[in-house]
Amino acid sequence: MIMNRQEFLIASGVRVQTLESWLEQEWLIPERTVAGMTFTEGDVARARFIQDLAAGMGVNDEGIDVVLHLVDQLHGMRRVLARLHDEVSGDAT
Amino acid sequence: MATNPYDVLGVSSSASAADIQKAYRKLAKKLHPDLNPGDKKAEEKFKEVAGAYDLLGDAEKRKRFDNGEIDGSGAEQPQHHYYRDFAGADDGHPYSSGAGFADFMDGEDPFAELLKRSQRARANRRGADLHYRFAIDFVDSITGGNKRISLPDGGTLDVKIPPGLVDGQVLRLKGKGAPGTGKGGPGDALIDVEVLPDRRFTRDGDNISLEFPISLCEAVLGGRVRVPTPTGEVTMSVPKGSNTGTTLRLRGKGAPRHGGGSGDELVKLKIVLPNSPDPELEAFVSGWGKGKEFNPREGGAS
Repeated sequence: MIMNRQEFLIASGVRVQTLESWLEQEWLIPERTVAGMTFTEGDVARARFIQDLAAGMGVNDEGIDVVLHLVDQLHGMRRVLARLHDEVSGDAT
Repeated sequence: MATNPYDVLGVSSSASAADIQKAYRKLAKKLHPDLNPGDKKAEEKFKEVAGAYDLLGDAEKRKRFDNGEIDGSGAEQPQHHYYRDFAGADDGHPYSSGAGFADFMDGEDPFAELLKRSQRARANRRGADLHYRFAIDFVDSITGGNKRISLPDGGTLDVKIPPGLVDGQVLRLKGKGAPGTGKGGPGDALIDVEVLPDRRFTRDGDNISLEFPISLCEAVLGGRVRVPTPTGEVTMSVPKGSNTGTTLRLRGKGAPRHGGGSGDELVKLKIVLPNSPDPELEAFVSGWGKGKEFNPREGGAS
């Protein structure tokens, strides 16, 4: 599901100012179209993860920056691992 | 299911609010599903911890729990999707980073080649075409219409049957195949349609044929009869002196043509005598001189 900025704020429970700061730090990278920003459900889940880190675990902004950087690398690796798995098991075309 | 939340967080029932938060944070950092993307059990474990903390981290709720007004099961967290559920799904994702393995792709060794190849192959791949088979009645193949077919995975697919469809024709439903990766769109659904044989009609190109029984009276004297067509019955006149094998043409009652118009229905007559012998008919034929002279095996009519 694709949502606009307003819908994203409602779905994620993120406040406007918080979103501004996250966008500035590129913790969230919505797609930008002529009609404005569009967010996905993946962005909402990512926002919830950031909220869990901040409010739930007491990680500060500097820490979140590091965590996201490492988690994004981890997912990059997982993806390559999945592709290799497909190659080896003969699933890829 | 109602595990004691104090046990879940590993604190005593007299623990301070600060101790409870500390215990929760320690467990959350270890168990959060987004920090353990490959651990399927992480979600279940984290849910339990988050549920316990939801109860004990709130002074009001904790008091009610301690007084026995609510139990631990009230603290269950609603199901939600974690970021990890999305992060692996889409290759065009803006967040994913190759920084953790780029060095492995630099070389010329087989492993680097494998990495590069698989990355190219999957990056923006169009989804696969999915093949289905299903059968329709002859009449539906001529008239066309909408059919809903059930898929093996439990879903359904709405298929528009074009009028005049032929046996073995493959219908393509754009975008109804498997989803693609990255910017690659979904594949198509290809539906192989079998036309079931009809006991009345057979098809030859755009025309359809029908063997049609008539009585001796209708053959000799002519008459009007009702003839079935794929679109319903029509009235047709049988000319005087028709014979078995006489073929009458119903214009435009065949299969619709691709570029417009329709083929014809060819009605092949077959004279059928009454089932039981009829004395009157026998008496007439015995006295019918010309009938005895006629030999259908000698030229003439066949």
